[in-house]
Amino acid sequence: MFPTIDQAKPGLQKLIAVLGETYPYASVLAVADDSRVWRVSRSGINIATSGNGGGTGFVVRVFDGVGCAEYSFNEFSEEKIPALCETLTRRLAEQNAALDGVASLPTPVPADRPAVLKKETTWKIHPRELGDEAIVSKINALREKALAVDERVLDAQAMVSYRCYRKLFLSKNRDLDQTVMWTNAMMAVVAARGQEIKMSYKPFSVLGGAELLDQMDADAEQAARDALELLDSQPIPPGEYDCVCDPATTGMIVHEAFGHGVEMDMFVKDRAQARQFLGEYVASPLVTMHDGAAVDESATMFFDDEGTLTGDTVIIDRGVLKTGMCDALSAARLGVEPTGNGRRESYERKAYTRMTNTYFQGGDCTPEEMIASVEDGFLLECPSSGMEDPKNWGIQCMVTTAKEIKNGKLTGKIYSPIVLTGYVPDLLKSVSMMSKTPELSGSGYCGKGYKEWVKVSDGGPYMKARIRLG
Amino acid sequence: MARCGITLWRINEREDETAELFFVKKKLDTRRVKDVHKYEVTVFRDVEGQEGGKPTRGFTSVQLISSMDDGKLDEELKGAYYAAQFAANPYFELPDPVQTPLVKETGELAQAPLAQSAGKMARALFAPDVHEDAFVNSAEIFVYRVRRHILSSEGTDVSFVNSSVNGEFVVQCRDPEDVEIHNQFQYEALDEAALSARVAEALSFVRDRARAQRILKSGTYDLILSGDAMPELLSYYVSRASAGMVYSKYSTWQQGEDVQGETEGERLNLTLRAFHPYSAEGIPTGNHLPLLKGGKLLTWHGPNRFCRYLGIQPTGDYQRIACANGSVPFAELKKGPVLWAVTFSDFQMDEASAHFGGEIRLAYLIDEDGTVTPVTGGSINGSILAAQKDLTFSTDRYLTAEYDGPYAVRLKNVSVAGVGK
Repeated sequence: MFPTIDQAKPGLQKLIAVLGETYPYASVLAVADDSRVWRVSRSGINIATSGNGGGTGFVVRVFDGVGCAEYSFNEFSEEKIPALCETLTRRLAEQNAALDGVASLPTPVPADRPAVLKKETTWKIHPRELGDEAIVSKINALREKALAVDERVLDAQAMVSYRCYRKLFLSKNRDLDQTVMWTNAMMAVVAARGQEIKMSYKPFSVLGGAELLDQMDADAEQAARDALELLDSQPIPPGEYDCVCDPATTGMIVHEAFGHGVEMDMFVKDRAQARQFLGEYVASPLVTMHDGAAVDESATMFFDDEGTLTGDTVIIDRGVLKTGMCDALSAARLGVEPTGNGRRESYERKAYTRMTNTYFQGGDCTPEEMIASVEDGFLLECPSSGMEDPKNWGIQCMVTTAKEIKNGKLTGKIYSPIVLTGYVPDLLKSVSMMSKTPELSGSGYCGKGYKEWVKVSDGGPYMKARIRLG
Repeated sequence: MARCGITLWRINEREDETAELFFVKKKLDTRRVKDVHKYEVTVFRDVEGQEGGKPTRGFTSVQLISSMDDGKLDEELKGAYYAAQFAANPYFELPDPVQTPLVKETGELAQAPLAQSAGKMARALFAPDVHEDAFVNSAEIFVYRVRRHILSSEGTDVSFVNSSVNGEFVVQCRDPEDVEIHNQFQYEALDEAALSARVAEALSFVRDRARAQRILKSGTYDLILSGDAMPELLSYYVSRASAGMVYSKYSTWQQGEDVQGETEGERLNLTLRAFHPYSAEGIPTGNHLPLLKGGKLLTWHGPNRFCRYLGIQPTGDYQRIACANGSVPFAELKKGPVLWAVTFSDFQMDEASAHFGGEIRLAYLIDEDGTVTPVTGGSINGSILAAQKDLTFSTDRYLTAEYDGPYAVRLKNVSVAGVGK
């Protein structure tokens, strides 16, 4: 696939060689991208090839006398090499002149250890082979199914998207080549009560292709019933409660509340409290946290956007914080090994430390046992958003639904929307039960602050903890 | 296009040039430059034989780059044209044609080398960073020069160049508690003074956050929102007035309707402003679009297709909110008892549920006697439907690329989850 990458490769190798005459380190990441989104809703049918991130292009990284510098471009041929090198050199000289007197952050030149790899993920049905007509027909049918549940359903939105990309990372000593495809889908159902609109959604994701669509049939009607339930929801009385988190809510806590705090570029900036807690208990002994490519989900890859091979990073081992995750530049500055977490929104953007597939390991309880153990609390479902606070480990996560539990039973009373707050270690140390099987969802994107969106997955088992709700 | 049988189309050509600087403390982390040239081609396809005599009109878009050979271009365009027949939407007219010569900006940011502008903004950002206790932890600066060219089969041919500078910075204070506050900025001019003032204010806030107490109790409060929370709060009205929301029946708002309802406070006066002279569809956006006057909706707004469906002239897309409200000086507005929430981890207005909220990073609890106590922790969960019945805006103003209006608003009886049960 992506023959343009094969055609460009000899020229890119020559570009690295030419840059190597001027700079002590030079690498290039080449990306070829193929994606499409199909979406049906009350506003119509939409088919587009944008919106999945990525794009086809190149980014060169060099080290000069000042430090690390990058050049992103999307027009390349062997004939353009002299012009590209001249542009990079001239623009860096202009920038250095404009910053005269500004000191640089010391950064060792990357080791560039030799490595050769060529791998691709697998899929059963390529969405393009299934075809636009079949996909639109399928999601239209699912939409109709959800709309038929009740006349109070205002809209049902169904969406399928995929991204298939090939990335080539070349440096003097590394030749890495990967092709990856993920497919995502979503059913969202909207119900209205006056001016207030309530929405429930069901996400679907796979490291693979259109075979994912078969999973959607069972959940279209349930999404509609969930949205209708929300019409009778109330604002929650603020307070701290025993909560059972569904796997998606556990995933949001893993990702937003804790994961961002162990991105080690934050250690370099002195922005993460976690750095002081390495080797210490930060969570209940029931908590073991992973990030990486040990699972097949939307963020699985064989190497990251800086040419570091990926693996399975155990962040928390039975409650003890073992390590963070790290991009290559931060690793060089901190004197540690990178973990394969240097990721870019696209070839047009900087690489930062980013999560991939991040999740809590399972425990030994059942969700039924967990609900039965709650005297006065809530079952939290359907997370909607979250924001990190690595410096102070403050939690801000929002979930759509809190289902009341009294004396070990769901009462049928529903509260919405819900803001989770508190101090991350307090929450994680209060974890008292975990269900057996972690479930991951890779339908979302993760931002660094308010930008730099990359595909991630997160999840875990059902988790019981003490959480402040508002 | 003709080779692929495509007769209805739009091309959005875009050339991005950037200079990007990344800092850790005052030291340079990374420099980046970018030269990217892309084309997004939207193809339209009519399918005859539908109910009501009119054909359906479908469309899809593809991303193209100039290095694609003829074979690849044909493959992409034919694929898009094939797909468009399945995106069968009710018929709509395409935007009216517009032709203008290249619209160029003036001013230093538009004309100076990007590297020079980036250097100046970096110096402006670090200029107030002269204190021992509170300082800039890290910063990112992006200077953009983007040339857009929009062509259509209907005869549209417009192009314009837009320069901007945006970024973010984090301020930190280590004592008595080690805390930080994240800030974003965006300017359409090389406004070094505004950036320096923004950093100075943030340093003051983070110093207060460091000594803020976790004592906020759960309950309902008179609440003041200010600064960047203002455009987020008012975005509810922009969203609910959008043609897409109205066409989809997510919004029931009608033009001329009193959408604020009965109120004891100020009646809302909002105007939309655009970043660019033309929308992505080539629709002229003009200087401004009055949206709400005295709480009444003046017009729907949005892209071509939804405006056509609703039977109004397409307005194009707007990204800025201007609010003409303001009746009380800020010094009077914050008279206690009141909770002034200054910064959040992520303040959000949910256009669907009409709820707004966020976790409080810094707030000032102001007592009746004027005693001010910085507090942190807890969260706000309010409804604009309830809050809009009594809004009071400051006469003090706040100006960013996305907002021009009162610095602050006071809302009554907003639910706050404190840090104690």
